[in-house]
Amino acid sequence: MSAIAKFQPRYRNDNAALALKEQAVLQPSSAEWVNALRLRAVASLNETGLPTQKLERWKYTNLPAKLKKMDLTYKDADITLSGMTDYAYSFPKGFSGFPSFAQEMIEQTPPSNEKYGDMMLWQAGNAYLKDGFIVDVPADTKRNSKAVKALEVTYTGHDGAQTSVRQIIRVAENAEFTLIEYQLGAGSYWNNVVTQIELGQGATFKHYRFQENSDAAVITQNTHVMMAGNAEYEAFTITTGANLSRNQVHVDINGEHSVARLNGVNMLDGKELADTTITVEHHAPHCRSFQNYRTVVDEIATSVFQGKIHVHKPAQKTDGYQMAKSLLLSGQATVNTKPELEIYADDVKCSHGATTGRLDDDALFYMQSRGIPEAQARNLLIEAFVNEVVEEVTHDDVKEQATHIISQWLHNLSSDDGEEAQWLE
Amino acid sequence: MIKIKNLHAEIDGTEILKGLNLTIGNGEVHAIMGPNGAGKSTLSYVLSGRDGYEVTDGTATLDGENILDMSPDERAAAGLFLAFQYPVEIPGVQMTTFLKTALNAVRKARGEDELDAIGLLKLMKGTCKKLGISDHMMKRAVNVGFSGGEKKRNEVLQMAMLEPKFAVLDETDSGLDIDALKIVADGVNALRAQDRSFLVITHYQRLLDYIKPDKVHVLAKGQIVKSGGPELALELEEKGYAEFAQEEAA
Ligand SMILES: Nc1ncnc2c1ncn2[C@@H]1O[C@H](COP(=O)(O)OP(=O)(O)O)[C@@H](O)[C@H]1O
Ligand SMILES: [Mg+2]
Repeated sequence: MSAIAKFQPRYRNDNAALALKEQAVLQPSSAEWVNALRLRAVASLNETGLPTQKLERWKYTNLPAKLKKMDLTYKDADITLSGMTDYAYSFPKGFSGFPSFAQEMIEQTPPSNEKYGDMMLWQAGNAYLKDGFIVDVPADTKRNSKAVKALEVTYTGHDGAQTSVRQIIRVAENAEFTLIEYQLGAGSYWNNVVTQIELGQGATFKHYRFQENSDAAVITQNTHVMMAGNAEYEAFTITTGANLSRNQVHVDINGEHSVARLNGVNMLDGKELADTTITVEHHAPHCRSFQNYRTVVDEIATSVFQGKIHVHKPAQKTDGYQMAKSLLLSGQATVNTKPELEIYADDVKCSHGATTGRLDDDALFYMQSRGIPEAQARNLLIEAFVNEVVEEVTHDDVKEQATHIISQWLHNLSSDDGEEAQWLE
Repeated sequence: MIKIKNLHAEIDGTEILKGLNLTIGNGEVHAIMGPNGAGKSTLSYVLSGRDGYEVTDGTATLDGENILDMSPDERAAAGLFLAFQYPVEIPGVQMTTFLKTALNAVRKARGEDELDAIGLLKLMKGTCKKLGISDHMMKRAVNVGFSGGEKKRNEVLQMAMLEPKFAVLDETDSGLDIDALKIVADGVNALRAQDRSFLVITHYQRLLDYIKPDKVHVLAKGQIVKSGGPELALELEEKGYAEFAQEEAA
């Protein structure tokens, strides 16, 4: 196991200004802890700047370069909560009467900061702490029907806006909950989201993300999941938009017999870049974690997948699985995949794999010889490729929506054929 | 009627077919036999339009239409069908989806109504029954996990559903035991019709005991070097292809 050098803030980074230039517009909160947190975050960001490609986990994604080209002004986030809103509420004005559990969560040190020293976006989230909501699901809240009604949260990005959001989710003992996030928008905007999820003993949380951002947008997700024993976390993220998206997830499995599934589909074209960076830390024995991603990259798009399974010494009998498959539809598309295992327990079962390939010519010809036109044959193959992961979604509605988004993407792919590629300019 | 005239084709700049001539009338079954490497599969791929097979001269017409100018799917719509020597496995694509997409693409191109899911299921079940094929194959991905015999039966099923005017069967007998061979041959025989011709490519005479050809041709060195009736197959079975191989060496 190679030692990973600790991050040392050797240089002052003027790109902090990209994130902070408007931080001062925030009104001081009536809650002192909020003001203090913001100030600490501003100081931290001023010292470190935004993540540059010198950092291990940002090697393939140049966020400051992208933000430099955007002209953004800090705005209130446009958030809509719908569906199962029973346990959800927006942050109260000025944080008055803010629940202490949520405050404690917000005041935690960002996950993996010590190891990588690259949690600047989390700090940016702290610096702008204002917009957000809390989901607090009491113990034993269960649904009996399979069609569980989900809480839906829709983020609408507006041209020129920089927004910052905090999602605080607590699912208590033996409770079940489902959250579906939609990221939409028009024009050029940046939405930085910090999500903290705490799952109690025996809790089940299904967490779905549809990222259909505009193709000029930047979306940065910073998610931390903390799981007690016998808990289940099921995540599925589908990204079909955004010029740059960073989906960073850190899972700490702290109790025995828990299961975490982190799945996703990326369908990228034009100049899009989608970066998925996952760390699953097994701290307790008898737990299972799965990371399963399918990525389709066309034109000059770029995909980044960095997945890590970290098994700590006490986490015997861990079952860890990671598979990232990519399909290149163009000669100029790029796929960067970095699977990693770090294992300190001796009785574990961990596997990881990554493949990058092109469509199977033999299969294409076989289908064409049966009368299926080339574009349609290609779409069938792509659909089959991504369905390997879509099929694992246990929420029927979400599965259907994902299937629809995929076929829409493929439809656009077909209608783009023969047209002059816009991304060449 | 299929007419192939002076067909020349190359792979990677190497000429494989060197002036092939062949005419098959409506309702006729012709067999092509020949040594390994003679160009039999190449002929089937050239006719069906596979990438990498370049036609440098000659024509191939199906009922007067030049199929060599068409894309593979257009050829299928025009009535050509190739039963593959090695049917391709397509993980994740269900047989029913595959058949429905293929059938409706072809029906659309032929100006016929498309079938809905129920119409397709009915047709599929009926066709399976007619051909003695168990329809549990339909619940799986295309050719994935199929036995050799199942793969070949699947080719016959697709042929039956797509109703071609001209079907090329490339070494359909390879890798089949005698029982599987009979099922496949029965399937082909059930599809013989006035307006449908077949080209049966095989290395062994065995298959021709079950699918009786009207004519037998020998393909060697990229050309038809000998033609005759069914008795030619028996002759080849006895003498082997040494005669043609020698010609090649000479
Ligand atoms: N993809 C290919 N690239 C180069 N040569 C090929 C290729 N496929 C076949 N050939 C050559 O073409 C000739 C004819 O092959 P093929 O048509 O498969 O013969 P048959 O089916 O009669 O056994 C052989 O010499 C073979 O080596
Ligand atoms: Mg062959």
